[in-house]
Amino acid sequence: MKPSSRWTPYVLVGPAVAFFTFVVGLPLLGTIGLSFASWTGTNRPKLVGLDNFVRAFGDDVYRGAYLNTFIYIVATLVLEVAVGFALAGLVSVKGKRTGWYRITFFIPVMLPMVVIAVLWSFLYSDDGGLINSFLGAIGREDLQRVWLGDPSTALLAVCVVSGWVYAGFYMAIFYAGLQRVPQHLLEAARLDGASEWDLFFRIKVPLLRGLTEVAVLLCVTGAFSTFDLFYVMTNGGPDHATEIITTYVVSTVFRDHEVGYGAAMSIIMTVVVVGIGLVYARLRRGGGVDLEY
Amino acid sequence: MSTETSAVPPRAVAPEPRARAARRVRLLASDTLYYAVMTTISLVYVVPLVWMVMSSFKTQQQIFDSPWSLPTSIDLSVLTTAWERGGFGTYVGNSIIVTTAAVVAILVFGAMAAFALSRLNFRFRGFFLVFLALGLLLPVQSYFVAQSSLLNAIGINDTLWGLIIPYIGLGLSLAVYLLKAYLDTLPRELFESARMDGCGDLRMFGALVFPLIRPGLATVAVFSILSAWNEFLLATLYIQSDENKTIPVGLVAFTGRYATDYPMLFAALSIITIPMVAIYVIFHRQVTSGITEGTLR
Repeated sequence: MKPSSRWTPYVLVGPAVAFFTFVVGLPLLGTIGLSFASWTGTNRPKLVGLDNFVRAFGDDVYRGAYLNTFIYIVATLVLEVAVGFALAGLVSVKGKRTGWYRITFFIPVMLPMVVIAVLWSFLYSDDGGLINSFLGAIGREDLQRVWLGDPSTALLAVCVVSGWVYAGFYMAIFYAGLQRVPQHLLEAARLDGASEWDLFFRIKVPLLRGLTEVAVLLCVTGAFSTFDLFYVMTNGGPDHATEIITTYVVSTVFRDHEVGYGAAMSIIMTVVVVGIGLVYARLRRGGGVDLEY
Repeated sequence: MSTETSAVPPRAVAPEPRARAARRVRLLASDTLYYAVMTTISLVYVVPLVWMVMSSFKTQQQIFDSPWSLPTSIDLSVLTTAWERGGFGTYVGNSIIVTTAAVVAILVFGAMAAFALSRLNFRFRGFFLVFLALGLLLPVQSYFVAQSSLLNAIGINDTLWGLIIPYIGLGLSLAVYLLKAYLDTLPRELFESARMDGCGDLRMFGALVFPLIRPGLATVAVFSILSAWNEFLLATLYIQSDENKTIPVGLVAFTGRYATDYPMLFAALSIITIPMVAIYVIFHRQVTSGITEGTLR
């Protein structure tokens, strides 16, 4: 439609574009610029070329953060996406009558991550923590440990909390998808004598393929930008065992005041995340998607 | 598990009475098993939350010695004590101010931009569309390092404006995207006939568009409210003074101050959690669809 006057479209988009430029556009350019500089935040920035990037690629802690993120991704694909899928399958068996279960599974999703992180720090506590005392009660004292203080269990312990939070989220999207499976397909299959089990695995699961692909992408890219849970529960410790990219960038920039180095690490991560997103989008274009959300 | 509960293949001939009774017993058994499994899974969610609330009514000693026992008495004054000592009034007030300001701005500016980008032809429209969509693609981590310096430079770091403005910018991409998608589905005759009646763009926005996209606005509002209310990364980096902290940052500060006073800590967690869960249970449909649609976009 033709605008009623030449300037009205710009009046309408103006505020949004202005805020976005100030909050995202300029800072993005600034971060790219800073990644080529050495800056403490107060002195004059000095151009250092690719030094920050070279340093990042040789930094064991930074590379470890990617390994930890990778482990986190694998664990959460199971604990969030797969468990969420299973929960959706379970609640869809009884559909409308599972309202309270669905409400319960979704509670952690809307709570502040900080609350959950503090709560679970207590659950994992070696002294009075619910998990160790549960293990004691069922006679498995041998499994008790300082979950978040032990480098061999800390990362997995955080992954479990992440699963506890987001399984309900993935359940909700898969459940919504299951509700959209055309009823006539299911009825036709029932007339042919298919069991509920067949209906789920032969009709519903294949139809959810598109939604599953979206969920996997969300889980993978979300893993790179996760922060709150790790920061509050372990802040990267013990001994960098749970260090992820953002906790490392935050301590580099805001504690060690190496702004340029932090910027370079952020930019590398951005390239990785956007790259994964674009490659994934290209790959997906091949497969047919029947139940787009 | 309970694979044959809800659907029994229809048959031409009614089954014999005995077979029907047998099936009913089987149905009952599988129903019981089903609800047993579901309830067990629910306990994984409910037990930690109930434990949190119950522990706030116990003494330090009871929490350590008998973590599974119920409190001997429920004295609600522990909640008010935690509220006062933690200064949660300030944090909650700040969260309300920041969330309200950010969400109102996101809805108004987002709807304005979505209308122009969806319905009006003008130069740079495609550019603006791609530019704003960048926000959907880029993680906060790609720009927060320089953003903090920028807020420093204009002197609004460690103020509520230093959160409100970033939250508006962060929320707008999604708002524009969702609302534009919503507007795109409306018939064009709606807008063209208004134009024929001499309705200008700005009046059309106020009188026609804003009321029309109310369902879309509701989704954006739910998502934006929860994002701003729960946001932690920027809030913890940009806010240092206690009087400007929002709930998540204030809570972390509180856990630092009362690290060893467990009943106090659990009371603080409960204060924040209970009202949110209550509101969620009432509006669960809107909350669930707001979060899922907002995240899936």
